[in-house]
Amino acid sequence: MTEAVVEIGSMGRVAYARIGPNEDLVNGVEKLCLVEGFKNAFVRGALGSLVDACLGTLDGEYVQVKGPAVEIVSLAGEVRSQTDGSLRASLSGVVADTEGKVYGGPFVAGANLICMTFEVTLEEWLPKPAKHSPKR
Amino acid sequence: MLSTRAVSHAGRPRTLMHPGAFNPVRIHSRHSAGARHIRLVLQPGQRLFDALVVPLQRADVSSASTTILGGFFSHIDYCVAPPDPSGQAVVAYTQPISAGRAFMIFGNATLGKNEQGAPVVHCHAAIRDEDGRTRGGHMLTQSCIVGDEPVVVLVTTLDSFELRVSFDSETNIPLLQPRGRSEK
Repeated sequence: MTEAVVEIGSMGRVAYARIGPNEDLVNGVEKLCLVEGFKNAFVRGALGSLVDACLGTLDGEYVQVKGPAVEIVSLAGEVRSQTDGSLRASLSGVVADTEGKVYGGPFVAGANLICMTFEVTLEEWLPKPAKHSPKR
Repeated sequence: MLSTRAVSHAGRPRTLMHPGAFNPVRIHSRHSAGARHIRLVLQPGQRLFDALVVPLQRADVSSASTTILGGFFSHIDYCVAPPDPSGQAVVAYTQPISAGRAFMIFGNATLGKNEQGAPVVHCHAAIRDEDGRTRGGHMLTQSCIVGDEPVVVLVTTLDSFELRVSFDSETNIPLLQPRGRSEK
């Protein structure tokens, strides 16, 4: 059985951004980390609107929710630096359509353009360097 | 409206044309060296706006990102944002929709200041309305009333800059923007 990953760390800086219309939600959060120099971060709060929403499904396909505007009513996620040096945001949440009906799932990168504004607060995550256990 | 079925590709995203000139700066951000975290308990019978703003003002917090962890409200009003028939903006808020006595499942509220420096709260949430339907949208915090039980909120403070409403010429609406505390 694969062992659980326990990463000890602490919170660092906190950043707030307003990301403008027609920017992608997921890529925008990654770019915010580039702006602020965050390698790893957690989303602490987010709200805003999308032109249309595109959410992943269990079978690897997508559900599209037609706007505008589709309101983001819940969002959770993190940004992690990758072994190749890139940054990757994984965001999921709940959205409401123009009638207030709600849908949820992971936001598909590149397919969720911001409609009017997106407000997001990120808290930097500073992992403690892992200690290498001595060889026995 | 939900598409009738899941699709095998995401579809090409739509780029909307806003009424104002495109602003080449797309990400407006600020940071603080660290955040304070506050567990705030919203008191029964209060308006959501007052229940958030007044205790945070007393704690000297004027800009913050908050997570409403859920709870009953004796009344919730909200609205959604379909296309603006006047064409002044891409979308516009509807008239208030009454959810009646409702449960707020999860919410995010941003605390900042308006153009005159008075507190403003921008809140989106998912709710279960009086008829049992799950809905979501922009909460009208002045007419959402905390129910009989307190509601817990996690507050992340934004201390070394502030959030201030300013007119955004691209979208043609006033929006919360981060800025330095000494900026005019």
